[in-house]
Order: sequence, then C-alpha cells, then structure tokens
Amino acid sequence: MKHKRILFLSLRIFSATGGIEKVCRILGKALFETTFSGDCSLEIYSSHDTTKQSNNNAYFPTDYFSGFGNNRFKFLNAAFFKGVKSDVVILSHINLLPVGWLIKQFSPKTNLVMLAHGIEVWSLPLGIKKKMLNACDEILCVSQFTKDEMVKLHGDVSKKYSVLNNCLDPFLPILSSQNYSIDLRNKYGFTPSDKILFTLTRMDATERYKGYDRVLQAMALLIKEMPDLKYIIGGSYDEIEKKKIDELIYELGLKDNVVITGFISDENLKDYFLMSDVYVMPSYNEGFGIVFIEAMYYGLPVIAGNKDGSVDALLNGKLGTLIDPMDINSLKNAIEDNFEPNKKVKVDTDILMANFGYEVYKEKMEKFVLK
Amino acid sequence: MCRIAGIINFNWSTEKNQQTVENMCNLLMHGGPDDGGIFTSENGALVLGNRRLALVDLSQAGHQPMHYQNRFTITYNGELYNYLELKNQLIQLGHQFSNHTDTEVILAAFAEWNVQAFEKFNGMFAFALFDQTNEILYVVRDAVGIKPLYYSVKDEQLVFASEVNALKNVDFNWRKNEHWPVFLMAYGHIPEPYTTFKDVSVLHKGSFIKYDLKHRKHSIQSYSFYSFNQDVHVGDNLKSTIRNQIVNGVKSQLVADAPVGVFLSGGIDSSILALIADQHKKEGIQSLSIYFNENEYSEKKYQDMVMSKLKGEKHQFLLSKDDFQNHLPQVLQSMDLPSCDGINTWFISKHAKELGLKAVLSGIGADELFGGYPSFQRMNLARKLSLTPDFLLNIFKKNTKKPFNRIAYLGMEGIKGIYLFMRGHYNVHEIATYLEADEREIWNIINDNPMMGDIKQLPTQNQASWMEFNLYMQNQLLKDADVMSMAHGVEIRVPFLDQAFVKTMFSLNANEKFSGKLPKQLLIDSCKDILPEQVWNRPKMGFSFPFSNWMKNNSYLEDLMQDSNKNTKSYYNDFKQGNLHWSQMMSLMIMKSRHEA
Repeated sequence: MKHKRILFLSLRIFSATGGIEKVCRILGKALFETTFSGDCSLEIYSSHDTTKQSNNNAYFPTDYFSGFGNNRFKFLNAAFFKGVKSDVVILSHINLLPVGWLIKQFSPKTNLVMLAHGIEVWSLPLGIKKKMLNACDEILCVSQFTKDEMVKLHGDVSKKYSVLNNCLDPFLPILSSQNYSIDLRNKYGFTPSDKILFTLTRMDATERYKGYDRVLQAMALLIKEMPDLKYIIGGSYDEIEKKKIDELIYELGLKDNVVITGFISDENLKDYFLMSDVYVMPSYNEGFGIVFIEAMYYGLPVIAGNKDGSVDALLNGKLGTLIDPMDINSLKNAIEDNFEPNKKVKVDTDILMANFGYEVYKEKMEKFVLK
Repeated sequence: MCRIAGIINFNWSTEKNQQTVENMCNLLMHGGPDDGGIFTSENGALVLGNRRLALVDLSQAGHQPMHYQNRFTITYNGELYNYLELKNQLIQLGHQFSNHTDTEVILAAFAEWNVQAFEKFNGMFAFALFDQTNEILYVVRDAVGIKPLYYSVKDEQLVFASEVNALKNVDFNWRKNEHWPVFLMAYGHIPEPYTTFKDVSVLHKGSFIKYDLKHRKHSIQSYSFYSFNQDVHVGDNLKSTIRNQIVNGVKSQLVADAPVGVFLSGGIDSSILALIADQHKKEGIQSLSIYFNENEYSEKKYQDMVMSKLKGEKHQFLLSKDDFQNHLPQVLQSMDLPSCDGINTWFISKHAKELGLKAVLSGIGADELFGGYPSFQRMNLARKLSLTPDFLLNIFKKNTKKPFNRIAYLGMEGIKGIYLFMRGHYNVHEIATYLEADEREIWNIINDNPMMGDIKQLPTQNQASWMEFNLYMQNQLLKDADVMSMAHGVEIRVPFLDQAFVKTMFSLNANEKFSGKLPKQLLIDSCKDILPEQVWNRPKMGFSFPFSNWMKNNSYLEDLMQDSNKNTKSYYNDFKQGNLHWSQMMSLMIMKSRHEA
C-alpha cells in the first residue's frame, strides 16, 4: 500500500442513528487510522450532515470532515473535484453512485468502492444506477446474502463483489465490574424471576420485516407454560404501527407481558441488553443486523431468521439460533429452548470477536480499500 | 517521568530478549537515573524495561515494571495529572492500591475500563501495559503527543523505546531511511511518523498498538484526538475561563514529591506560568533563565521585571560563547532524531539539573493555541497564493532564487505546502543542489511523505493554529524539549498543553480567540493583572539567539567542515558570509556528523 488520497463520501454519518450511519462512523475511524503511517490522506464528506454535527465524535477528527447540510449542489461540486484528484473514493450508499460514476468518467484510475448494506440495493429497481454499477471497482457487501441478492438482481459481475461484514462498535461500553441498573427492572415492574425477551428496532408501518409481530404470536402460544415471559420492543415507532401492534398485543392477551419503550439512547442501551435474557428478531430482509452482534457482545443468546443477512451475523448458527422467520412454531420452540440451560446457544466471545471485532474489520477493509 | 523500552520476539531466546532490553535501557539511563528494572513474560518472548526518574512516590514502591492483580504489568514514562481523581473513582469501584504512584492508577484504570481507560488520562505519557491473562500488550502514547514513542513491527516482532538511539543497536536488520536528509533540509526536523530508519516509526499521538501474542497480530488504534470545528462562543466570561483553566493546569502540574521549577525566558508565556506557579506554592517557585552578553538577543531586562515579582529562588545563567564552544559536541550527541534546534533547552536543562530540580514548567503550546506566530497573520495570504495556477508555480519551481523557489512549495496539496512555504528550512533547489539529487526526485519525496489531508474548511487562523500545533510544535518543539531535557534527567512539563485546556482552546470561536491588536491578546488580557506591562507591551524582538556569530568561529564546526565536499563547503561559506541562518547550518552539521554529507 503506497500513497493514497482517500475520499469517503456519505449521506449521513452523525445526523441519524441507524445501522448504516453506525457503519460509516466505524469506517471513518478505520480510515483515519490508516493515515497514521503517513502513506494516506483522508477527507470525509457528508451530504446531509452539517459539519457541526460531527463535533465531539469519538471516531475521527472533524478537521478532515465536511458536512454540506443538504446543499446538494455544493456537495456534488466538492465531491467531484476532490474525487477526481483522489486515488480511492468510497461511497457509503448506492444513492451516491451517480457522483462516483461521474468521478470515474473523468478519472478512470481512481479506485471506486461502494458499500452495499441491505434493502437499499435490492428492494427498488435501480434504473440507470444499474449501468453505473459497472464503474465500481469494488462493491463491499455487508453479508453473503446482500452479495447474492445483488448478483441475482444486477447480473453476475462477481469479481467486483466482496463481503465485508459489519463489526462491533469499538466504543461499546466495556463490560467489567459495572452491572446494569436495577432501576430499569423496577421501572418496568419486572421481577427478578421474569424471563425477558428483547427486540431493538424501529417500528415502521412501511418496513414490516423485523418480525416483532410474530414474536408476539409465538409468545401467545407460550404464555401458559411461561407466565413470567416478558417482551421489550425498544426503538422509535410511528403511530400507525404502534396502534396496530397495541391492538395485536391486546388481542393476544399479552398486555401485561409486553413493553414498547420508544427511542432508547445509545448510553442507555447497555442496560436494556444486560437486563434481558434473550435477543429475538426473526426478520427476513436484514442486510446484516449489527444489533445481533451487539446483543451477543452483551452475552445474550440470539434468535434470528435464516433467510437474510442475519445468517452471517450468527455465523450460520454457530453463534445463535437460526429459524425460519415465518414459522411461528419454530420461533416458539427457539424461545423455549433458549431459556433451557442445556439447550440455549451460548455466545462464544472469542469466536464473536475473531469474526466481528473492530480489528478484524479494519484489517479486511484495508485489504479491499487500499489494495 | 522515565525512559521505557521493550521487545516481543518469538525467534530469540529469553536471554537474548532480556539482553536486548537491558542494552536499550542502558542507552536510556540519562533519562532515568534513579532506578531500573525489567520484566519477562512466562514464555520469554516479551520483555519490558524501564529506567526511572522518580517524581511521585520516590520510594522503592514506585519501582518499574510495576504489577497489578498478578495480571497486569506496566513500564511507564510520564505523568498523569488527574491520577488522584481517578484513584478515588477506582477506590469506589473496589480497587486497592499498594503505593502512591500514578503508575498504579494506570494499571487499576486499565483493569477496570480496559482500553477505554486511556481516554480518561490527562497527562503526558508513553507506556506499555501487558495483560498476562489475554496475552496482549498495549503500547500507548498521550493524546497531545508530548512524550515520544518509537516502534517497529516487522515479521511478527515488535520493539519499542523512548528514543531511536536506543533501538539502533538492536540486532535487527534496520534499513536506513534514505529520505531523512531531505526531510531535515525541508523541515528542519524529521516529521512524524518518520525516523532515520525505514522500519522505525513514531506512534501517532492519542493512539495505541495492541499486540496479541497468542495470534501474533497487531493493530494500531486511535483512542483520542482534538478537533477544531466546534465554534463555541463564551462571551463575557472568556478571560476568566481562560485564566482559571491556566491556573488549574499549572496547579495540577506542580504536584510532585521532588523539586519543580519554571523556565523563565522573559516572554509572555513563561512569565505567566512563573507568576501563577509562584502564587500557588507557599515558598514560591524556583525560576531559571538564560541570558546573553549580546544585548540585542538578551531578554534579561524582562526576566528581571518578572523575577522581582516572584518570592521563590531566582537563577539567571549567562550563556556565553565559551559555553557554546565547549558544549556544542555534547548538544549534538544528546540529540536523538536530527533537529535544527534545541540548543537552548539543552543548556537550561543542564542548569536545572545542577540546581537539583527534577521537573520544570515550560511555556510550550501558548503560541500555537493563542496565535503567537506570524503564520496567524499570513495564512490568508498563503491560501490566496496557493490558488496560483500550476503553470505559474512551475515557473517559480525553476527559479533558483530563494524567495521565488519557496513559493513553489504552495503547489503542494493542502496544509503541507503552506507549512513549507511559511516554515520551510531550505527550498527544493537548495536541497537538490546540496544532496546532488534531481529536483523532481526531491519534489516527489516531499510531496508523498507524509501524506496530509487539507483543513481548508477551518477558519484561517484555526488553520494556522492546527498547522503550528500539529506540525511545528509536534515535530520540532516537543521532540527537542523531550530529548534535550532528558539528556540531563530533567522533566519538562507543559501546562498550556493540559488536555482540558487544549480542548477548550480548540473549541473556541476563532474570532473570539484571536481578536485584538496584539498576537496572543486573549492570553495577555486573561493575565494582565499579574503580568508586567513591559513584558507584553514591548517592541518585537523576534525569536533569535546569538548562535550565528558564535558558530562562525567555532572550532568544532570548523574541524567538522574541513574535509567536506564542495557543496557543503559552499554552504558553509554562505553561512560565514551571513547568507545562511544558524539553524540551517545546524542541519548541515548534523548531516555531516552523521556521515550524510
């Protein structure tokens, strides 16, 4: 690796809290660390964030960051002129493909790398972007599933596709002698013997693939045998979806067993994971599912669907339980099993870190991006 | 403050690893005269060494490498100014301590918070901490980059030390960095992360090496950094905020179980430190100053004014041509990486040592944070000039006249070009001529090494501050201060670089921070009540020493230059005729003494 001018183009890094933004922050940190050798320079542009939104972030110095605050023209102009002078341009999202393509037309020697996360690359017809994909020198898919879907939909240009799984945020709280706050259990009226399931997701009427409704249905089958089973659905929600789920809870007779928390801040998230016994999210359209590896980091057994990128996050079932996400019975059995000491899949932290630790991610990223 | 060294080598015997670290420690003894020790891991592949300069808990309890919970071992160079605060937190969390050192606090903090502990440390340090259970070694450097740490990772082997000199004799096949004379001539120093060896780098400030002995793998990660973007308006309370933070910084850095003094040059920064430190020590603070017989360079008048306000002992030392003549070879010998400066620090540290002081406060950092350099006024112009079209800059490149050729530096990308335009030591034509190299080759070397991003989205004065802080102070001032003071076993402490203070200064709105008629107006205004007016309101003296005249008739230099090639002789003649600055001559002297010319 010798002398690379790197430009990282993103939509949002700091002004939203989703998985893609998390990946961008971590990638920004990894790229910043490549500059320590003196062989690389780095600039990071975000089209939607303002520069101020990057203040006090722990991932990379804001001195190399420019936020264009939704000013599309300024962003495109700056990205293009910087891009053609760069050795590597990384696109955080397929929506940035047009600018990447343009850069490539004027500077064919620039190495164009695009991140493919999940639903955004396979759910909608790409139109002209499909042709533009050919301009990419490397498409980094967050999971084998995303890669397979892309190949299926956009043709086999397989030599360009590689899998770079997401990783654990290096700034997750260190688990040491500190324990979770007992107050949280009290806040929700849980007793020490309650068995707690947890799902962290945005409840969105337009994106119903996360499977919390099916968890409720599985719970209804279990509740007689396991009356102390509780379920926390954490994360922001829209009112339509909330109403629909409230109705379902009522219908299933689970109103004393389910808590919908609303938004949980990053600082408080640790307490929710540590309070819970099992993380469950039988989704079927997950690009990867960072939340699975986070739950495992906190020691929770995990139940996930076997039809999407979750398979990568659970290492084909080595780290947790994979089930058909649409099969309520399988889900019910998996929940039951994960409360049985002999049957639950215990998380092997060494395997987790060896596959999804930050250092592993960084090493692979350097191999793909700086080659 | 100490000196540290260590190795991980799976191919050598335990004895050879130990011998290597012992040899390195012997070469570092000047910086740690009070005690020494080594630690060897169970399998013998890892050895850590330490030379100790005792400042906190002077007893044997502070012996290093130090252990904690039969699991963690550390060799540590530095000072943690918030260690008492951290210690209290750790006691609350159930940790027990067996001594009064900051070293043990680092160990306990790591045991509690793992790598997230590093960000909590306010101080200047470089240390290596071994976790025996997980077989992982962490080599860590402070966030401002005050203490240096040099390392090499090659073929699964890691070796590190506080000075490059200590690494030289390690039985590795070190490859010389062929570019270092170019760097020295362009910058006046070797910019981080480079050293005189291709295989040895400087650990980036605010980062750590994590070496996993089980898998023989390593990674380098950032844990802290400072950014300029915040734009905080403080308003009316700004001056008192600044004053309070300086006072807090000074107070925390006066903590030591050994005598601490202050370097007083007579300028604004050191005078403020001396006056504040004197107020906060019952018996006052010992001050040390250097003056010259040559009145045009001497600041004695201003030193006297400040000294008259101090209750502590005052020491003024005349630095004469004879001292210079007698000690110049020793100064050069003390130098670790080549540098065109540091002479003054060598002499004042020598006097500090003779007075029995173990630590001294220095005003480094104030010029960079408050705008004390001409670059703060010139940055705007430099940015405009850097927009000159390439074809015009190419004309300047071909022009061999000094000022014109220097403008060509602006053709380089980003802040590096501006830095070299403002602070470059020699221009490319001069470097190429001296080294008998092709000019294009020199351009390529400087262009590509090190690569730097641009920071042009920052307000221009913050750009100057960024540049002076991250390039000039980092690569020149802090390195010179560390090496030249440790040559005498004296620690230089830098209260203006207290981490909380740096953070505040970086976050301030640039207009608020740099407003006013005079350079460093905010600093002056924050301390006007204690600072004599003559010190801040005086004709500009420039930053100069009488070294030019002294070097012209220096027998050591004369001898050194005698069997030089024609280029060196020609540059030496230029110097004697007054066409070359003494610091430029220093660089040539270093190259000559290191057989590079």
